[in-house]
Amino acid sequence: MTDEIEYGEKRAEEVVALGSATEYKYEYCPEVLETFENVHPGLDYWVTLNAPEFTSICPKTNQPDFATIIINYIPHIKMVESKSLKLYFFGYINKGEFHEDTINTIRNDLTKLMEPKYLEVIGIFYPRGNISIHPVAYYNNGESKYMELEKYRFQNYKMNNLKAEL
Amino acid sequence: MRKLQIAENSTIEMMSPELLFLGKSGQPYRGTLYIHFVSAGRTIELPDFKKYITSLRNKVFMAEDISREIYKTLWLHIGIGEGPKTKIGVVVDLTGRGGIQQTISHGEPFTPNRNKNKIFQL
Repeated sequence: MTDEIEYGEKRAEEVVALGSATEYKYEYCPEVLETFENVHPGLDYWVTLNAPEFTSICPKTNQPDFATIIINYIPHIKMVESKSLKLYFFGYINKGEFHEDTINTIRNDLTKLMEPKYLEVIGIFYPRGNISIHPVAYYNNGESKYMELEKYRFQNYKMNNLKAEL
Repeated sequence: MRKLQIAENSTIEMMSPELLFLGKSGQPYRGTLYIHFVSAGRTIELPDFKKYITSLRNKVFMAEDISREIYKTLWLHIGIGEGPKTKIGVVVDLTGRGGIQQTISHGEPFTPNRNKNKIFQL
């Protein structure tokens, strides 16, 4: 019980954004991302984060883009704190980037932050010019188990049935 | 916004799932905008209206004021209060915040055809 209390206090100290006054940034801000400790690092389990209000702008025309961003990952030692992720996503509001680059930027920032066992980022962007773009970026930590998982997910990705990915 | 001349009593409905503006705290709000209007001889150029909607993404409003703001802008450009009168209704379905979803309406009452939203789905 004492351990649980100590752990709870430690975890509360780890995250700054959660529960404090919120400062919204309107520019790309990977520095706001925070982590907390995964207390089950020996287990493999999926964490899915679903962000249906993502917005950025087109780097050429400055027209707004909208998307649902889905992150599926298997945590190792660190896990991303969801409020800091929300603030990080808000930072894209004035960021001009192609959809494909955005997904890879998010993948890179999150893997650098958490060093997960496995991670994938899916972008379901709203149609522009009658075409919607759904890029997917993968990451594995180099262990054969997760390399195999990435290979399997890549080869079995159902491009026209994104519900299968949720 | 540029105006177009159209026949009186033309009924036009518009929908955009891409409404975005900032709340008083600075937090972005997302919503789906529905407009229903009966023309008194004028409508607006759609590209101009798209630019107007886009212009809201960096502006601050109380969430409860957003429908009135859009209504006022539309009325300013296409409203005619004499003779055949323009009728304008605005409904905004905001996405949930803190577990609560709000729908804000202003002007002529109408029931949005929310099934139209499906054309934007996969």
